[in-house]
Amino acid sequence: MSTVLALRETLMRQILADGRQYSRGVAVTIEDVSIAFDGRTVLEHFNVEIAAGEFVAIVGRSGCGKSTLLRSIVGLETPQKGTISLGTSKHVRPDVRIMFQDSRLLPWKRILQNVTLGLGATFVPHAEKVLAQVGLADRAHDWPATLSGGQRQRVALARALVHDPSLLLLDEPLGALDALTRIEMQELIEDLWWNRGFTAFLVTHDVAEAITLADRVILIESGRVVLDEFVDLPRPRARGSVRFAALEDRILQRVLQHRAMAIDARGARASTEENR
Amino acid sequence: MKGRVMADFHRAAVWSRNNLRKIGERALPWLAPVALLVVWQLASSSGRLPSRFLPSPRAIVKSFIELSVSGELWTHVRVSTMRALSGLAVGGGLGLILGLLTGSFRWAEMLLDTTLQMIRNIPALALIPLVILWFGIDESAKVFLVALGVFFPIYINTFHGIQSVDHGLLEMGRTYGLSGWALYREVILPGALPSILVGVRFSLGFMWVMLIVAETISARSGIGYMTMNARDFMQTDVMVVGILLYALLGKAADLLSKGLERHWLRWHWAYQQVR
Repeated sequence: MSTVLALRETLMRQILADGRQYSRGVAVTIEDVSIAFDGRTVLEHFNVEIAAGEFVAIVGRSGCGKSTLLRSIVGLETPQKGTISLGTSKHVRPDVRIMFQDSRLLPWKRILQNVTLGLGATFVPHAEKVLAQVGLADRAHDWPATLSGGQRQRVALARALVHDPSLLLLDEPLGALDALTRIEMQELIEDLWWNRGFTAFLVTHDVAEAITLADRVILIESGRVVLDEFVDLPRPRARGSVRFAALEDRILQRVLQHRAMAIDARGARASTEENR
Repeated sequence: MKGRVMADFHRAAVWSRNNLRKIGERALPWLAPVALLVVWQLASSSGRLPSRFLPSPRAIVKSFIELSVSGELWTHVRVSTMRALSGLAVGGGLGLILGLLTGSFRWAEMLLDTTLQMIRNIPALALIPLVILWFGIDESAKVFLVALGVFFPIYINTFHGIQSVDHGLLEMGRTYGLSGWALYREVILPGALPSILVGVRFSLGFMWVMLIVAETISARSGIGYMTMNARDFMQTDVMVVGILLYALLGKAADLLSKGLERHWLRWHWAYQQVR
């Protein structure tokens, strides 16, 4: 397993030999993970390997188990079966941070205090720096209630980054934002990831967003990986390019094909029942 | 030239109209009470409303001034306020502690909540005969009644507040390594605070109700005593002063709790200026 990972990492470094940081990222190995809620299977014998510093996007319809996967990596869900290991050592848990669809800022703490949550006052200068990186230095002493949705997500991003995570999990963090703010946020996330070199794991239902950001797009359907595409487009990626559009189309077709099959199956079942 | 004069004139007219409207808006809520006072005073001075029944506003003001100059009024107010505050401290403190306990720990909820809900359904005033039997008619009986009155609003709202803390925020706190007391201090307590403060405001209302009842039954000092004593001597003006004092103290308590809310919940969207 680890040799495959190492190989992949070298490969990626060769492909993207462009001064990108790799130092902080941690590899993620998800082996044979199964999760069920009240007997309903969400993930079944799920396997994914992510190289250190890789940006992986998971797409899929709602309820396909993609959020559950992220939540189990950060420890909010416990798989009934299988293992999730981060890095080579299973004992030292590298720093993992998750960003949710809603910002989950504490409304009773000012922006700066939200960013330093769980850290001492010694982290204030560092937090101010990260806030400046997300473009909100001047809002440090405001209440979250006075911020717009996009600004709140930027604060949530800053809060995660202050911890200098080795793995950043993004659970549809841009899902609730308007189209323009989304593009801005995508650029910001790509930038920060590029310069800091953490491993990023993005869950989204937006195929274009996945292709814009990720090195690799994984499609999940009914708890299994059905597509695993390496995106070798140069960054920053132009949404208008032919190759971008072709890839987006291929993935979308795959998503819709599954649905078409399901409808066909249902239709066939219905017609056989009629014939009886 | 003529146009300019007309424009000035028009502006002045608009200005005075706007100001008049502002004054009108301020004055309107006071119109009914002032009219009532005037009618009341007229009815009293014309002799249609006997002072035995209800004294005139002027007599009430006079008696208020007399009582405050002699210092009698302030003694009673001080005694009543002390009773109210000690009852609030005892009952509110217990309610807060038990509410935090049952809200935070499943075992505490299982152990205590059913019992407390049963006791809650007994009207506190129904306990008066027992309270007199237990504590006699001295201070502790009054403090006990007030404490009983304020306990449940604070208990229930604290319990509810803790239980309804945003689950997403709890989850977020945990992924940031908060647990135990740190999670409690940073997420759970502030999240429950709006609800706890609603409990405090409710309990302040009950606080005065219980105090009035306690002081009316048996007391040798306090506003209730002053009022009951005045009844024995048919001093209707003193009685009305006592009633108005309760109203003023109640209003003061409400203002105080509103102030606390404004300070402690200044982060809340309800207190934010929209930018």
